[in-house]
Amino acid sequence: MKYLLILPLCLLAAPLAAQSTTPSDLIANYTAEAGVAASAERGQALFTASHTGGKPDTPSCTTCHGADPRAAGLARTGKPIEPLAPLANPERLTDLKFVEKWFGRNCNSVLGRDCTSAEKADVIAWLSSL
Amino acid sequence: MTDATTTEISIRPERVRVWDIWVRLFHWLLVASITIVAVTGFLFDASWIALHIVAGLSAVALVVARVIWGFLGPTHARFANFLRRPAVVLSHLTGKESGRYLGHNPAGGVMMLGLMGIVLMLGVTGLAGLGGVLRTGPLLSLPYPVGAAGLEIHEALAVLLLVMILAHIAAAIFESRRSRENLVRSMLSGTKESRPGDHTGHPERARPFIALFLILGLAVTATLLLPNGGRAPVGAPVAELDASFDDECSACHLAYHPSLLTGSEWRALMAGLEDHYGEDASLDPETTARITDWLVAHDAATVQTRPARMFAGTLGTSAVSMTDSRVWNHLHEDVREEIFLRAPVYSKSNCSACHGDAETGWFSPFHIQIPKEPSK
Ligand code: HEC
Ligand code: HEC
Ligand code: HEC
Repeated sequence: MKYLLILPLCLLAAPLAAQSTTPSDLIANYTAEAGVAASAERGQALFTASHTGGKPDTPSCTTCHGADPRAAGLARTGKPIEPLAPLANPERLTDLKFVEKWFGRNCNSVLGRDCTSAEKADVIAWLSSL
Repeated sequence: MTDATTTEISIRPERVRVWDIWVRLFHWLLVASITIVAVTGFLFDASWIALHIVAGLSAVALVVARVIWGFLGPTHARFANFLRRPAVVLSHLTGKESGRYLGHNPAGGVMMLGLMGIVLMLGVTGLAGLGGVLRTGPLLSLPYPVGAAGLEIHEALAVLLLVMILAHIAAAIFESRRSRENLVRSMLSGTKESRPGDHTGHPERARPFIALFLILGLAVTATLLLPNGGRAPVGAPVAELDASFDDECSACHLAYHPSLLTGSEWRALMAGLEDHYGEDASLDPETTARITDWLVAHDAATVQTRPARMFAGTLGTSAVSMTDSRVWNHLHEDVREEIFLRAPVYSKSNCSACHGDAETGWFSPFHIQIPKEPSK
């Protein structure tokens, strides 16, 4: 019975807690911070390239997300990762804190540094163009 | 022990009933259940536990019924007919005493008693292990070390039982040769050739209704007592996962249960999330602190489970992860390496692919199932 009460409350609270946003808002914000226009081509290049600055087990974003962001990826532990492209997975790129957390981790794992705002805008531009 | 008929030699040997239908049914059903229990126990992996237990309990039930029949059955079913004083057993074994026993001979009687006793002890030690180690069944709140000791004894008794069964088979073949009769066939047909000078023993009438009544009474008592009746075992792993932990620590893998590791292992792991098994899994300080506290509060020391006893303490000393610890690899040595690499498992650390209850921390053998590779 308890769940019947909690569920509507959660649904009400969700938009507040999740800092909801949209891919285009994210692109707009990161572009404003970067001061350059986002480029889907540069985003794709960053995403699919092999890098050397990061941790040896994760040379590329595609290590976990796969080459096609419209399809599911696979973590190194065998756990599937839902597709990144918003068209294939509408929940993607709708939560600023979540996006920031994973850019922080993943850029550090793959590049050995934080991604710049411009790079983030590029990647999101590419992902939402698919 | 001789009677009038034994002095005259008949031309065509008369066959007499020795083993009644219940003794024969008992014997062959016991053969079947012990075969299943031995194959599942010695040869098959832990995921066969349910069949192993069913077959084992069947063997115990059969022996209990046979013990009752040993007091209430017909002549040759009775203990009084085949359990004899040590001196008689000895003189039979040394061959001093001749004469054929229509029922079990004195040495065979000792073997019967031994086999039945071992089967009963295997049942008790098995239930102790099920209770103390796997924390289920009628003895589910036995302390873990008692259950573990029970399992050790269980394994030793199982080997002993195998040896005794081999001896029993060898003796049956030997006796068949020596007395020129097929004892195995007698256990099927129930009859033996009557010969002059046979030890037949004191004739007894069976009391089937009293026996049936007793056996049914015991069966009802057992079905009432054996299930654990929904009692929760002492030392169960925490069932409700902390929300932050469940959110943050299940993105890249299943949420490894806090009871798998010690508090100090969790502290060390949580202090190094920036470089977590070759990945950055960093969190903000408040979330890190909250998850660390929760993990430490429900660590291996708070539970009495098999995985906690096996894995806790392996990290940081001899192994980086559970999957490269000695104990983990020993447990999984019969799982072919390629199974871990192929779909849908992909990795040894993907415990939940094969252990349906991995996130509960139990890793019970009742929930092991290696998934089939999906056809492309
Ligand atoms: C080690 C594996 C791994 C690598 C390498 C990796 N990611 Fe991720 N990424 C993940 C996981 C796991 C998530 C969380 C997925 C989830 O919770 O559904 C994630 C989430 C994300 C998200 C958040 C999407 C959302 O839901 O809003 C973005 C964006 C992202 N990754 C981009 C990247 C980029 C860009 C790279 C390369 C610089 C990269 N990832 C490399 C594992 C990885
Ligand atoms: C960015 C992805 C990621 C996140 C987030 C993550 N882990 Fe891990 N974790 C891994 C990887 C990769 C491994 C190595 C698995 C292997 O050995 O194949 C691992 C291994 C582990 C292991 C060791 C498993 C073993 O076999 O011994 C534990 C314990 C663990 N993680 C706990 C946690 C906890 C607790 C959290 C939450 C604070 C967490 N992980 C968050 C990626 C992650
Ligand atoms: C490919 C499937 C598979 C994966 C993945 C797997 N296991 Fe197992 N596990 C098994 C099988 C099969 C057995 C039974 C082995 C036997 O009895 O010979 C087993 C046995 C066990 C047992 C002993 C159960 C018992 O009481 O008999 C434990 C504990 C265990 N695994 C823990 C783990 C942990 C922890 C992980 C992840 C780090 C894991 N396993 C990953 C298949 C798997």
